[in-house]
Amino acid sequence: MKIRNPKNFWSGVMFFALGLGFALFAQNYDMGTAQRMGPAYFPTVLGALLALLGLGIAIGGLAREGHDGKIDKFHFGPIAWIIGAIVAFGVLLRPAGLVVALVALVTISMFGSHEFKWKEAAAVSFVMGVIVYLVFIYGLKLTIPVWPAFIEN
Amino acid sequence: MELITNLALGFATALTPINLLYAFVGVLVGTLIGVLPGIGPIATLAMLLPTTYALPPTSALIMLAGIYYGAQYGGSTTAILVNLPGESSSVVTCIDGYQMARKGRAGAALAVAALGSFFAGTVATVIVAALAGPMVEFAFKFGPAEYFSLMVLGLIGAVVLASGSLAKAIAMILLGLLLGLVGTDVNSGVARFSFDIPELTDGIGFVAIAMGVFGFAEIIANVEKREHREVFTDRVGRLWPSGEEFKKAAPAAVRGTLLGSILGVLPGGGALLAAFAAYTVEKKIAKDPSEFGKGAVAGVAGPESANNAGAQTSFIPMLTLGIPPNAVMALMIGAMTIHNIQPGPQVMSSNPALFWGLIASMWIGNLMLVILNLPLIGLWVQLLKVPYRWLYPAILVFCCIGVYSINNNTFDVYMTAAFGVVGYVFYKLRCEPAPLLLGFILGPMMEENLRRAMLLSRGDPMTFVTRPLSLTLLLMAAALLVIVALPAIKAKREEAFQEAD
Repeated sequence: MKIRNPKNFWSGVMFFALGLGFALFAQNYDMGTAQRMGPAYFPTVLGALLALLGLGIAIGGLAREGHDGKIDKFHFGPIAWIIGAIVAFGVLLRPAGLVVALVALVTISMFGSHEFKWKEAAAVSFVMGVIVYLVFIYGLKLTIPVWPAFIEN
Repeated sequence: MELITNLALGFATALTPINLLYAFVGVLVGTLIGVLPGIGPIATLAMLLPTTYALPPTSALIMLAGIYYGAQYGGSTTAILVNLPGESSSVVTCIDGYQMARKGRAGAALAVAALGSFFAGTVATVIVAALAGPMVEFAFKFGPAEYFSLMVLGLIGAVVLASGSLAKAIAMILLGLLLGLVGTDVNSGVARFSFDIPELTDGIGFVAIAMGVFGFAEIIANVEKREHREVFTDRVGRLWPSGEEFKKAAPAAVRGTLLGSILGVLPGGGALLAAFAAYTVEKKIAKDPSEFGKGAVAGVAGPESANNAGAQTSFIPMLTLGIPPNAVMALMIGAMTIHNIQPGPQVMSSNPALFWGLIASMWIGNLMLVILNLPLIGLWVQLLKVPYRWLYPAILVFCCIGVYSINNNTFDVYMTAAFGVVGYVFYKLRCEPAPLLLGFILGPMMEENLRRAMLLSRGDPMTFVTRPLSLTLLLMAAALLVIVALPAIKAKREEAFQEAD
């Protein structure tokens, strides 16, 4: 069987799965009555609606050709580098401090670009480090560890 | 004259040096980020929201409003100079603004946009101030059933305006509503969908969703496209419009302002709809419609005035009813709740300084935009020359620190990263994320009002159709859906949105 409009088909599948997931998971909670709705009531109704709608969208995606239905290529490079950089920032911030986390965030995220240069990464890290220190630490006085824990203490 | 005393209070609040400073910073930073191509007002607001947490509520909202106008105007600048709309509502500005730039009239286009926006902002501020009082009185007539129906109408309105498939937009709303329910249920105290993660019992952070789905996803999508920009840096040209341009622009600005003011108040309305409608009107009534698309001044003045007027009057439902008519206002509601202000009709009486101060600051913000932007155009042009591969790491740094500083918790950073991936998937599947954000904000409110209404009616769902006000709202929602589903309108709508792509 041919999927005529993959964009809509896969959107439908996604909505169906999420709707079903929410509705089923809500069954762990108390349903209540229409007059006194329990915590499960509204999510069950919404989840069921979403699943039905998702099903409809998916079927439509199978049956109908649409304008621009093909899904554009997923570029895993940029997304992996950028999301990875953000996660690295989160992991490093507490133990290693803002400076290390910032350099990691800038450098790793810049790998995602088509043209990476170490010199540029160093320059952007330096400039951002100065700006961030002035704005967030000196200006807004946020309590973020700046240097690694073993130096700060 | 109650209005005068109220406005006096507003200006007294907005004109304190500290609030003036925050309005100025907001407008400046908003324009700065808004100028960057591919980053619209929603993403800009989401990124900058954390910087306002430490401020007192009034200053924070004034600054956020400033950021919004700034981002909106920054988007127009980019649209005119680079032909890249920073946001959907400046898509229309691209059409004729960029053509003007190619003719060496970029300066005039920017000036027309700024002056038109300022005029629209002034009129819209008066409208907001005049309508706010009566609207609040009207809002007090609303019971839970009416609120629920109004939210349904608002959500349907938002769907009709989302580009692309209607069914997908409704699905995004439902998903948003469901995400909004994550966390502790106020009535029973049960932590729903929290998977025993302590951070999730407080609900999904609203900044995490907004910044992830709008900010990070947009950055990833931008990075994967290779850069090809043509910036008219050297030929901005004379700033002041010629007499003839002025004559053509002025009436278009007036029409755009009126249209935008009306469309902004409607549920689902706001800047985007206003800009599209104004462009269509200008094209229809022009003596020589063939000029449009080739650099017609009216094609810049009309939509730019309309989107600014619409942006501002969309504050009316947000401020008076506590119901956001679009995703930007959903962000403002989120900001209010973070500052422990319960949005709704009571804001006007419980926080008069905030309410009127915000309204007065709208006008001040618009004035600052004109003063700031006309001389600073050169600076924005320079900024557009900075390669994106240097800019996006810088934006990421601000986002990450901002998200972390909300709760001093790295969990929020990971959550935002996760929503960045989700947003990227939405982008690839062409699922418009704005309805999701609207649903997310409205989710808990809708459930609460549904519960109350059903409790009052002893479980009888007929309460929504037997109460005349609620019935009217629901009928309006149904009518909207029927109209959009009509084959003739459907074709027209698809055509309009394809033009925008």
